[in-house]
Amino acid sequence: MPNQVTYRVFDFLKEIEPFSYLDQEALLRVAARVEVRYQPPGTVVFRPGEPPRDRFFVVKEGTIELYSEDQDGNELLIERCGEGEIFGIRPLLAEDNYVFLARAAEESLLYAVNSEGFRDLITNYPRVLEYLMTSMAGSSRYAVEYRASTSPARVDRRHSASSPDLQSLQSVQQSREPVVCGPDESIINAARTMTEHGVGSIVIVDTERRPVGIVTDRDLRRSVATAVVSRQAAVSTIMSKPVLCIAAGASIADIQIRMLRSGYHHLVLTEDGTDKSPVTGVVSEHDLLLAQGNSPAVLIQEISRARSSRYLRELRDRAERILAGYLEKQVAISHITAVMTQINDEIIRKCMKLALARMQADGHGNPPALFDWLALGSQGRGEQLLRTDQDNALIFEDVPEAKYNTVKAYFLKLADFVTEFLNDAGYQYCDGDMMASNPKWCLSVSKWKEQFSHWMHENTAENMLNTSIFFDYRGVWGDGSLPDKLTTHIFDEMASQSTRFQASLAQAALQNPSPLTFFRNFVVERSGEHKDQFDLKARAMRPLTDAARVLILQARKGNVNNTFRRYEALAEIEPQNADLYREAAEAYEVLIRLRADIGLKRGDSGRFIKPEELSQVQRLLLRNSFNPVKEIQQLLEIRFQLNFLR
Amino acid sequence: MEGKEWFSKLRNKLSGSDGSAAQWPDWYCHYRQRTANPPAPLSAVSSLSIVVLDAETTGLDVRVDRILCLGALRVHGNSISLGEKFEAYLPTPPGCDAKPAVSIHGIIPNSHRYSYVEEPKLLADLLEYLGDSIIVGHHIGFDIEMINRSLLRNGAAPLVNRVIDTGILAKRLRPSGYWTPENDYSLDALARRYRIPLSDRHTALGDCYITAVLWLKLLTRLTVKLGRELRLEDLE
Repeated sequence: MPNQVTYRVFDFLKEIEPFSYLDQEALLRVAARVEVRYQPPGTVVFRPGEPPRDRFFVVKEGTIELYSEDQDGNELLIERCGEGEIFGIRPLLAEDNYVFLARAAEESLLYAVNSEGFRDLITNYPRVLEYLMTSMAGSSRYAVEYRASTSPARVDRRHSASSPDLQSLQSVQQSREPVVCGPDESIINAARTMTEHGVGSIVIVDTERRPVGIVTDRDLRRSVATAVVSRQAAVSTIMSKPVLCIAAGASIADIQIRMLRSGYHHLVLTEDGTDKSPVTGVVSEHDLLLAQGNSPAVLIQEISRARSSRYLRELRDRAERILAGYLEKQVAISHITAVMTQINDEIIRKCMKLALARMQADGHGNPPALFDWLALGSQGRGEQLLRTDQDNALIFEDVPEAKYNTVKAYFLKLADFVTEFLNDAGYQYCDGDMMASNPKWCLSVSKWKEQFSHWMHENTAENMLNTSIFFDYRGVWGDGSLPDKLTTHIFDEMASQSTRFQASLAQAALQNPSPLTFFRNFVVERSGEHKDQFDLKARAMRPLTDAARVLILQARKGNVNNTFRRYEALAEIEPQNADLYREAAEAYEVLIRLRADIGLKRGDSGRFIKPEELSQVQRLLLRNSFNPVKEIQQLLEIRFQLNFLR
Repeated sequence: MEGKEWFSKLRNKLSGSDGSAAQWPDWYCHYRQRTANPPAPLSAVSSLSIVVLDAETTGLDVRVDRILCLGALRVHGNSISLGEKFEAYLPTPPGCDAKPAVSIHGIIPNSHRYSYVEEPKLLADLLEYLGDSIIVGHHIGFDIEMINRSLLRNGAAPLVNRVIDTGILAKRLRPSGYWTPENDYSLDALARRYRIPLSDRHTALGDCYITAVLWLKLLTRLTVKLGRELRLEDLE
């Protein structure tokens, strides 16, 4: 029967990743084997070079600091672990000695978790392994803060826990015969065989097909390409041995663990799991990734193979699960947005192809002119994580006046199909009809130029709003040359006319007043559907995107659409303001992450937030992100002399 | 030290009427063999095997009250091993239910929440667990006396382990005076002073755990005070 003290440890651990993934019974078993270690201030928990002795640590009370030592013996603070944080786990999984020095910064109490029991659990709880692998990949300052903020009210885990996890328990499918050769085969012949079969490794076997070694692309690069070994030498001279074997029926999780612990990238499958029986296959890290099916690369491939827009919706749902996993694992926002943008773009391209095929089938033939499909707004900026309304437009090359109407009619019809397919895939029609199927937003290059010139000359509120949506255009499908023409035109136009346009744009960026009231409370909407909710998009994100746009336009840098890329670019152009720009970029990342987290949890776009649904730390993070908002607004005011305009 | 005094008194008493040694139960004889060579006063405290012990009883009168539950945790150096715990419950003796102590430790007489053992079995298991470890506890004199009386009732002789009281240790570290009232050495007060969270108070193992952390914290402060590694004699 578990006792009170075990329950005390259990209660503490159950809130902490990765223990939170274990069920009660398993965690109680872990808790019962915990050793409580008391560390007076200044005492050392472990030193570099020491073996890890089958335990890792969770800070119960106090603070442990991890230091690395340089050659001169100077200590460099790497990380400070506070209550609830885990340290000293990497050497255990990698079967390596400690690299850091761990020392108590204050009187501390540690729970030393017996890793023997824990390692067995990893096999049954793939989420634990996944968590450990990603947490070892390192984390930034914001990621650490954010982790603290999300741990109490974790994003609904059912999304990410469903299909990919089940898969990791299945065995790896073996569709292909292992590629093998004898030890006396020449390197050049082995390389030829690998090329013929399109594989990255070849298993060296004896006469009874038992594995004696393995040669991978890497071995070839290392020894042959650098001319260390003759290409005519026997493969046995360069093969890695012994090979790491695993039984043919091993699950993905088993294989992951073996690879993680051994540092090997290839495992050889044999009949009985040892090198004393014949080879049945080879698994590489890459195979593993594909087998899991939740890699973005697989998804993108799958999208390009899709035959219906309905199936695209399913795939986009899968993308959302990848997104949830990324958010949970604190993957960098720049990486997440890059991946999601690629997926979104691929879906748009697929819808485009489906629409073009449909036009053909309906007897409308091929496009009568060159054209480009433009993504606008957040998708144009490459910042869209969750599915929002469609914002798109179409630009086609100039055609003789006589043909203009027929050409435009073709593209409107095409756009009708594309937007319909996108709607099927879960990107809803835009309320404001900012879509290529709207005759206003399906124009030739000259007409678009006129349109932009008009917006830049007539600085009405409506035009400024359009500017904020249309200026972030990005070509996703088509000829590719037309968007650049538009960009050149905009910069020419700006050079020829006064700074008035920029000033009005900057003015528009200041339209949204401070997100905080005088008493440091959130400004909430006073009426309507979202009464008493905080508008994350309008109050906090839009001021930052608007400011980034006007500043990047002023700096005349086209082709940088992404808001944090824009701030990064600005930091380089204006070193004197680099700190502020970097802070703005970080704040924007926090906001995107927060919005996606909340959106996923609620199944909506995450735009409106009830302040009370945020955790303490989330609220703090949100508030901190307002500081750069305010400072950026002040910068705009001074730079464009807006205090005179008002 | 009060525990020690008590011991010598008891030992004298025993040596006077030593005829019973021949009838000691096997488990007690075995225990005495294991404790034949107690640790030397100069041994380093960090190298000793320590057992933190706590008993929950039906009341505070050693003559009539009985042990309900015994808990113990082992401490090696600076770590407390939860895997090597000792925990055992005795059935409530007749006439001892409905005592006010129930409201303190919350052990409901003969509740089905616990699995009970008989007294001789509990004592045999305890001595096996103790071996020649140093016994540490808070106001441990009472617990020891309860155990000793139980041992005597079962045909054995008292415990011979060295005993250290964290209450006395705390007092030595910070003597009572103007700032610290005489009665301020209760486990609750000390836990508060040394910032040890007080959950599961008044379960035998819960108290053991709090006492064990207190023990480690007190040792550190004593080491700092003395400026060298602690020896067993420093704690006498």
